[in-house]
Amino acid sequence: MADSTETQTERAPLPLGPNPRFITENFEVPGIDQIEVYRAHGGYEALAKALKSFQPDELVEEVKKSGLRGRGGAGFATGLKWSFLPKESPKPRYLCVNGDESEPGTFKDRMIMEVSPHLLVEGVIIASYATKVHHAFIYVRGELLKAGLQVERAVREAVEAGFIGKDILGSGFDLAITVHHGAGAYICGEESALLESLEGKRGYPRLKPPFPAVVGLYSGPTVINNVETLAALPAIARYGADAYAAYGTEKSKGTRVYCLSGHVNRPGNYEAPLGLSLRTLIEDLGGGMRDGRAVKAIIPGGSSSPMLGADKLDLPLDYEAVAAAGSMLGSAGVIVVDDQTCIVGATLRMSEFYRDESCGKCTPCREGTFWLVQLVERLEAGEGRESDIDLLLDICDNMFGKCFCPLGDAATSCIVSSIKLFRDEYIHHVREHACLVGPGATRAHATAEAHAR
Amino acid sequence: MVSEALKAQMRETVARYPLARSAMLPCLHLAQDELGYLPDEAIVAVAEAIGVKSDEVESVVTFYSMFHQEPKGRHVIKVCASVSCYLMGCDAVIDRLERRLGVRRGETTPDGRFTLEAVECLAACGMAPALQVNGEFVEQVSPERAERLVTFLEEGGDMAQVRNYWRQFSDGAGMATETEIGVTTEASDNGVSNTKKVR
Amino acid sequence: MAEQVEELVNLTIDGRPVSVPKGSVVWAAARKLGIEIPIYCYHPKMDPLGACRMCFVQVEKMPKLATACTTQVAEGMVVITDSPQVKKARQGTLEFLLINHPLDCPICDKGGECDLQDFTLRYGPGASRFDLSKRHFQKPIPVNEQILLDRERCIACQRCVRFCQDVAMEDGLVMQERGFRTEVGVEPSAPFDSIFSGNVVEMCPVGALTAKSYRFVARPWELKRGATVCGQCAVGCNVLADVRVDKLLRQYSRTNDDIDDGFLCDRGRWNTDLANSPERLRQPLIRRDGKLQSATWDEAIALVARSLGEIAQRDGGEAVGGIGSTHTTNEEAYLFQKLLRVGLGTNNVDHFHGRFPQGDNDAQPWVWSDSIAGLERASHIVLLGADPYLRQPIIDLRIRKAIRRGARVWVVSPAANRLDRLAAGAIRYQAGQVGAVARALLQVTLSERLTRGAFAEQRQASLAERLAGLADATPEAVSAAAGCDAEALRTLAREIAGAKGAVILYDEMATREATGETLAADALDLALLTDNFGRAGAGVGPLLEDNNSLGARDMGLLPGSLPGYRAVDDEQARAELSAAWGVRTPEAAGLDYDAMLAGGVKALYVLGANPATHLSEEGRAALAGLEFLVVQDLFLTETAKLAAVVLPAVSYTEKDGTFTNTERCVQVVRKAMLELPGARADWQILRDVANALGLGWTYSNSAQILAEIGRTTPIYAGVSRHGLGQTGARWPLAPGATEADGQRTLSGSPFLTWEMLAQGVAKGRGSDQLALSAGRGEQA
Ligand SMILES: Cc1cc2nc3c(=O)[nH]c(=O)nc-3n(C[C@H](O)[C@H](O)[C@H](O)COP(=O)(O)O)c2cc1C
Ligand code: SF4
Ligand code: FES
Repeated sequence: MADSTETQTERAPLPLGPNPRFITENFEVPGIDQIEVYRAHGGYEALAKALKSFQPDELVEEVKKSGLRGRGGAGFATGLKWSFLPKESPKPRYLCVNGDESEPGTFKDRMIMEVSPHLLVEGVIIASYATKVHHAFIYVRGELLKAGLQVERAVREAVEAGFIGKDILGSGFDLAITVHHGAGAYICGEESALLESLEGKRGYPRLKPPFPAVVGLYSGPTVINNVETLAALPAIARYGADAYAAYGTEKSKGTRVYCLSGHVNRPGNYEAPLGLSLRTLIEDLGGGMRDGRAVKAIIPGGSSSPMLGADKLDLPLDYEAVAAAGSMLGSAGVIVVDDQTCIVGATLRMSEFYRDESCGKCTPCREGTFWLVQLVERLEAGEGRESDIDLLLDICDNMFGKCFCPLGDAATSCIVSSIKLFRDEYIHHVREHACLVGPGATRAHATAEAHAR
Repeated sequence: MVSEALKAQMRETVARYPLARSAMLPCLHLAQDELGYLPDEAIVAVAEAIGVKSDEVESVVTFYSMFHQEPKGRHVIKVCASVSCYLMGCDAVIDRLERRLGVRRGETTPDGRFTLEAVECLAACGMAPALQVNGEFVEQVSPERAERLVTFLEEGGDMAQVRNYWRQFSDGAGMATETEIGVTTEASDNGVSNTKKVR
Repeated sequence: MAEQVEELVNLTIDGRPVSVPKGSVVWAAARKLGIEIPIYCYHPKMDPLGACRMCFVQVEKMPKLATACTTQVAEGMVVITDSPQVKKARQGTLEFLLINHPLDCPICDKGGECDLQDFTLRYGPGASRFDLSKRHFQKPIPVNEQILLDRERCIACQRCVRFCQDVAMEDGLVMQERGFRTEVGVEPSAPFDSIFSGNVVEMCPVGALTAKSYRFVARPWELKRGATVCGQCAVGCNVLADVRVDKLLRQYSRTNDDIDDGFLCDRGRWNTDLANSPERLRQPLIRRDGKLQSATWDEAIALVARSLGEIAQRDGGEAVGGIGSTHTTNEEAYLFQKLLRVGLGTNNVDHFHGRFPQGDNDAQPWVWSDSIAGLERASHIVLLGADPYLRQPIIDLRIRKAIRRGARVWVVSPAANRLDRLAAGAIRYQAGQVGAVARALLQVTLSERLTRGAFAEQRQASLAERLAGLADATPEAVSAAAGCDAEALRTLAREIAGAKGAVILYDEMATREATGETLAADALDLALLTDNFGRAGAGVGPLLEDNNSLGARDMGLLPGSLPGYRAVDDEQARAELSAAWGVRTPEAAGLDYDAMLAGGVKALYVLGANPATHLSEEGRAALAGLEFLVVQDLFLTETAKLAAVVLPAVSYTEKDGTFTNTERCVQVVRKAMLELPGARADWQILRDVANALGLGWTYSNSAQILAEIGRTTPIYAGVSRHGLGQTGARWPLAPGATEADGQRTLSGSPFLTWEMLAQGVAKGRGSDQLALSAGRGEQA
């Protein structure tokens, strides 16, 4: 399939060239994390423009028009989400920034916060203005110490520069921003668990409805957005919704920061328009496969998304196309797995993640992830039974759609997709008590550690 | 052990939030940073600072993996063991560190200098395998580098010097540490020339 | 009840139509149809959690299965509870729950009443596919003195934890760790030493939380469950008394939304001594040669009747007296006063109670004018010298619920109170000064002209007089004497006066404090004059001492009042009673409790009371020196030890009858176990004594006595066991609907209005307007 950027090229003249970097444009500039440098490169001009040229509601419309969709995982239209806030409410409304990035395979938000924290802060101020919020919280994952400190410092600098506080740039708009550090819990990336955590509680997801837009933080109407989502706002404000929407595909507009990891030569974060093909990402940007090996599987949207086979290399990376292929673009954490990797071992590792990060609130996720890991462990160790494979699928069926929050569903992705694509490997483990490929193939092995290369 | 200064800091933190209870995690971080862990008295102090019952604080403490109620080593080495690092060989790094330190993952050396932990994805997948020492990232670690890192720390090395350390000992290609973030620009030779590798 | 009209929603479940109030969850709608939807985490008294994933149903037009406990009904909704998908999902959840659950059912105390067992039987998989290693924990850890926790049996439904935190609002159980390591636990510095702790044992759906007292004692199918009323305090929670052979093992809740809201306190739940104690009396005793010795019932009854009869004959009825009980049933209290008034011709009858202004034609019932459930509607709750946590615990629990709904609670008490932490304000005073505090509140109300409402309006003339009577009760004066904050008194008085609805409660025994004499009257006036009276969520009254403290008063265990608070010299009442009883009762008021004990009588009949504990050494000697003393009780009390005859009675679990709780609710008490051999119910003993006196009483069960009460006691008019139903009714009783079988139900009155009082609710006759209690209290 053709690279969708080319499709774009054919369709219309692109206002900012073929590959604009709406987010990472100035990331190579030394000291861009300092406010002076950031401002010297046009920082906070977008904010000034937004405050001057737009009424809050117009800004919401502008963001709707840009087609910007949430970069946290679900890909929900950002402007539409904002418009769910009740017009009137007796309680204060809040914006919560989701900087809890913990999805295996995802490392874009950390980069944004560490490298260019002011970009995020500017986005937060613009979003707050648009949603008429006067207190925003930036929830930064606890482990990302440096990211948290960078954002804290950026907020301080922005306060001193008058971009945060009372009557910002004479617009009459007031805003306070509080940076909040998490303490180690993947589930706190789930928006309602994040609110619980921010309220000082265990990170249990909340019952929905009511949705946070109606009853959120401190029971007030609340918007929750991902770091990357908000970091796109200054560009939208500066270049206009149309310029932003000129990139990407029909329903997936703009650019994304793709997190490329795994067995490629040049892993890293790459910003490119939505609809970039997997092949371009891996072969061109990622420099191809390490040691010249072949692609075996791709996990396109963080470890929560079902894996795809090598036959999907020409898939355009946009929300619709990836969904149609049976997976999810999610957080765009693209993990590439080569042909020398035992898929059972890799699946075990992903399953352990969900077992350890399940909050334990609901039965299927708490008990199911525990059981799944035990079964995959036994298969991986060459001690499983063939019937275990279908048992795994049935357990996943009993979990999928029945857990309290999407984490439980996510835990089934790697298992169901890997069995679908690589059932032979599972059977091989049972029959031969060894892996089909990789170091575990030559000898029967008792633990997953044998996979260490 | 919970100093007056710490209590005052907690009170200040509480004042920053619309609801005192929101200061739960920040206050626990403050206490843990100062005391090294969260003994019962720290839990009681936090409970007092934010006006909740101490059982609720304990309940929160046990939920979050960064909080610990037992002391840890002076250097806490957290090696990411999630899938991207796994694909890039983190298990060998952990194995090597276990042998080098003489402890299993999750344990602290008898001299109290090191705690070794295998943790979930640290958002460093593009620089796998990755680890953190006391919260500071060290990325693209091979078993050998991990071992040298331990030696460096044993000899009194300071994490702030890690970058220099790597310059000194690095065996060549691609070593990027957190301080070098975002400066590797690699023009693409494939027509998508404006796309830069930023990390 | 003055219910608001609820909006109903129509839906169908498994093809059957049902209408339920808007906002109900599907689970409740199914339950209304008798369709069981299995639940673990949901508890009808707590907010939905949706965690256990057991209650799946299929809802038309919803893409995924829905949890019935969290899904609110909607008009036209179509729900299916037994589709193949639903069955598979339930099976899946049960299988998940069982993988880490030990299969130690044979030795688990919950076995037989375990939701995990039961639902597995009904909805579970036939066999387990889990053949790996289960999670293990160290064997049971103590949660408190009474409760043990087996963590491996826990299914993490969080009911217990939510009860502690959301309902009881006490330290206690919390969730710890996360994921598959999740467990329930206690934090050492915040132990679960709450009087409400036992509820978690009952609501635990599995055997994770068990009671030490019940561990390894019985299997549930060996239990006989008597649906009765707890007799341990004035709340009257509805219970199932669980009896194995001849032992009361525990009481579990029988959920009466209006009284206990489905909860019990630990005293009610675990205290089984009344029924089981080895100290119980098992035969009558007669004093021979200075020592109490066993006797037959015939001997004892004959001796009691002969002695009392002879003394009354010889010295007149005034020479005998009776001290009745706040524990016995209404029927027994009624028979006791009837025996004295009719059989012995005396009004010398009383019981130990608080100080309430007594006796003229305005005799008031001195009762809580609102109800427990009404607390939920109050904007303010004021506790004067009361400590419901210790004395009426389930009322404390309801106050907590009111707090969650926004009520401001003021704790005015001499010592620290469990509610302080949750209260809007606390005022401490020196013990004994509660009356002064109440007077100060009234003083502020009058002097700052905070009165409002029609009652106050109509009595403008007497307000100045009332204020003048409070000259010594300025906040400053009271603050000096009682050591409390004058400004706090003012703030509280203003809050009461400005309240949307304030409930003012004082402890019955606080009226016995040094300054408590006018407490009841002052509190009543405070409520009336600030218009905090006569509706749900506003009112005033005493929190009484014992399970039938109010019944004892209602039934006329008072020297000045006949049953139903009619004065002993009320001609009409006497005429009516003589028609019913065949005898005209004496007109002059009798001696009260203190007077009888101070040597006013020669013979004394003490039933279920222990006055010796209130007496000095000399007082006790005088009691021992009475010409005749008969004591009827469960135990050989200090008073019984002084008696000439001791008659062994039975506890509330061993007899039928009715109790009236502190908010006027008359409830049916049912016999849950056989009488202790050798002991008899008080009403049977009284009947036998009466017959030995030649009165010819023919009662063969307590229902007959109750029917007579229904004919002779206006506020209990028409009362019957059937009419009271499962949950009782608040007096004044009125006839309710007639059922298909021709039997009448009774309806009660959720609150009293001052018009009702003025119209003589208590007296069964019209009267002048209710007078301000000004002066009367002070005269008394
Ligand atoms: C288990 C789970 C973990 C999640 N983790 C994150 C996260 O780390 N960061 C994030 O931005 N969104 C995360 N999300 C998505 C959020 O719930 C939410 O959709 C997002 O923050 C909304 O922002 P957006 O609309 O800007 O994407 C997670 C969702 C789930 C179910
Ligand atoms: S699916 Fe259930 S246990 Fe898992 S994280 Fe969500 S709520 Fe928690
Ligand atoms: S009872 Fe409905 S989810 Fe637990």
